[in-house]
Amino acid sequence: MLEKTMLIKMNQQAYGTTRFQILTGDQIEQIYFAALDVLEISGARISHPEALELFTNSDAVVSEDNRVRIPTAMVEQALGSCPSKSTLTGRNGKRSVKLQKNEVAFGSGADAGFVYDRKSGERRESSFADVEAAAKIVDYLPRLDFCMSHGRVSNAPNPKTYDRHQFLAMIKNCTKPLVVTSIDGDGLRDQWEMACLLRGGEKEFRLNPLFATFIRSDSPLMSSNDTVDKLLFATEKGIPAVYTPCAVLGVTAPASIAGVLVQTLADALFTVVLCCLKKPGSPLLLGGIQSVMAQAKETPSYGSPELHLTSAAMTEIYKWLGLLSSSAGGCTDAKVVDEQAASESVMSIYNNLMAGTNLIHQIGCLDGGLTGSLASLVMCDEIIGMVKQIAKGIQVTDETLALDILKEVGPGGEFLSHDHTYDHWKEWFRPTIIDRSNYEVWSDSGSKTYNDRLEPEVDRILESHAPEPLDENIVQEMKKIINLADKKEV
Amino acid sequence: MSEFLGKMAESLIAGKVDEVTDLTRQALDANVSSKDILEKGLLAGMEVVGKRFKANEMFIPEVLRCAKCMHGAMEILRPLLAETGVETAGTFVIGTVKGDLHDIGKNLVGMMFEGAGFKVVDLGIDLAPAAFVAAIKEHNANLFGMSALLTTTMPKMGETINAIKEAGLRDQVKIMIGGAPVTGEFAKEIGADAYASNAASAVDTGKELLGL
Repeated sequence: MLEKTMLIKMNQQAYGTTRFQILTGDQIEQIYFAALDVLEISGARISHPEALELFTNSDAVVSEDNRVRIPTAMVEQALGSCPSKSTLTGRNGKRSVKLQKNEVAFGSGADAGFVYDRKSGERRESSFADVEAAAKIVDYLPRLDFCMSHGRVSNAPNPKTYDRHQFLAMIKNCTKPLVVTSIDGDGLRDQWEMACLLRGGEKEFRLNPLFATFIRSDSPLMSSNDTVDKLLFATEKGIPAVYTPCAVLGVTAPASIAGVLVQTLADALFTVVLCCLKKPGSPLLLGGIQSVMAQAKETPSYGSPELHLTSAAMTEIYKWLGLLSSSAGGCTDAKVVDEQAASESVMSIYNNLMAGTNLIHQIGCLDGGLTGSLASLVMCDEIIGMVKQIAKGIQVTDETLALDILKEVGPGGEFLSHDHTYDHWKEWFRPTIIDRSNYEVWSDSGSKTYNDRLEPEVDRILESHAPEPLDENIVQEMKKIINLADKKEV
Repeated sequence: MSEFLGKMAESLIAGKVDEVTDLTRQALDANVSSKDILEKGLLAGMEVVGKRFKANEMFIPEVLRCAKCMHGAMEILRPLLAETGVETAGTFVIGTVKGDLHDIGKNLVGMMFEGAGFKVVDLGIDLAPAAFVAAIKEHNANLFGMSALLTTTMPKMGETINAIKEAGLRDQVKIMIGGAPVTGEFAKEIGADAYASNAASAVDTGKELLGL
């Protein structure tokens, strides 16, 4: 063996992770300038009175048809007010999600109207218990970082308050940070009050948010009053807002992907300006679902390659602007957990992780987000593990080049019993549900398909995992807020 | 006594080669019998390792590290065990058939058997039927294992079994086969006693054949 010397290698470059890039800086610039043109020339349309007043009192031009056109200087000033980071922390303070450039977190989806019944296997309306079960699974799965409701609480006593019940079902069963959906501004206020109970006050929540609020919006370049209500309330209270415009290529957005990027960015920048006018400095994540049409022409496909390409490109644009990002991943148009569900989930998880999207939501959603699947949550957890393994890239050092080991073992030798193998094999991805056994072992254990193995794993987690309980006094205080809303909103 | 042996099993499961060797010496100094060290320390640890391997909780490189622990301790214990006349679980002759140079799987099986307390005679690779027959006779083996990784060398397994029959040794030895292309069906066809699909299950199958 050669003696170690003091020689040094100079001018070395190394990638810490696998590299992934769709757009160049020049292309992003073109898209950005086009989006600024859109805001100056055609603008966006809103009807929310407070928002219109905020714009009227600014340098923006508000026309009689509620169209708001914004000069570039206002946009760039507002961009400077967006915080570069925020941290969501779960209820016991032990699990958090860092929202900052190139940090990636995965989480479930929200508000699916249907689930598959664990006993009968039939598709039925989602309930409080289903949201609880999903939250428990998310609490358990190691690669999911935040929790959304998965299903909708369709059995709430008042159909206008299901969002508060969803919050309770999640917070009771999951110690990870939450991302919540609200019916309207009042719903968000109640959820925020419940979170402030846990955090110990409004200022404490602002410093250390327990949840982000997921706000969906329509295209092209218009927002409903409920959307704006939620945005303005979140901005006032420092609740990180995940602004999610949804557009269908060729229907509510141009059919060309670059055109969708321009429209989505213009929409996002409009929101950045609105929030800044309300109160500068509240955390904002920008995302959206921009995809080709699914069967029903106005709904976007959740599994199309165009969606994944657009999502990753939007993340690159937001990173370039110093903004935080979110996208949909681990969701599918398939009606059950099948080959289509798996392949579409892999594509979206791979693209979004590689792009460095901050919040990747919608894990576990089937049927374009209409049906929630616990089995899909478990499947995607394993997919995320594999994709993360690729994302880690390759470290090239003297230790990993293994030159000494290669010499020692020599031609025809074996590495299996070598200490180097023992030291490094733990770096490999190890599957839990994916099967790599030989045919005999596989057939002896019942010739089970991937799906056959997923369902028992869901049952096992539901039976064996007990999330850290939430203080019963706090639960009672939260229930008071919910009861009040249940009566008021009838 | 149990303090040493419990620690020894734990260190073995954790793959700490030097620690297991040290503990073996310390136990002997403290007058723990070599039989107890083997059975209640080392083999107790290896049994846990075998179970965890089967349940996918441990992976081959870890199991091999545990086998190394066992091997290190056995270097010290073997002469003492021979002196006191402690019997091994059995004598296992193993090798790769004629024309086949693949031995990683075969080595693994050998190590696992050693870990289970067997005396293992590993003949190596590319072995003619006559070499196997001679070794079974010489070592008075009660268990014999063959492996093949190539479909082209599989027929050599049947030829070897015939040679064992002709030498009049078939009744004294149980025969197991393994290797990627081999199946349980094939084992029956050529008159072997069993097929095992991996190193951990090979030990269980071998013990079963011998009624241990």
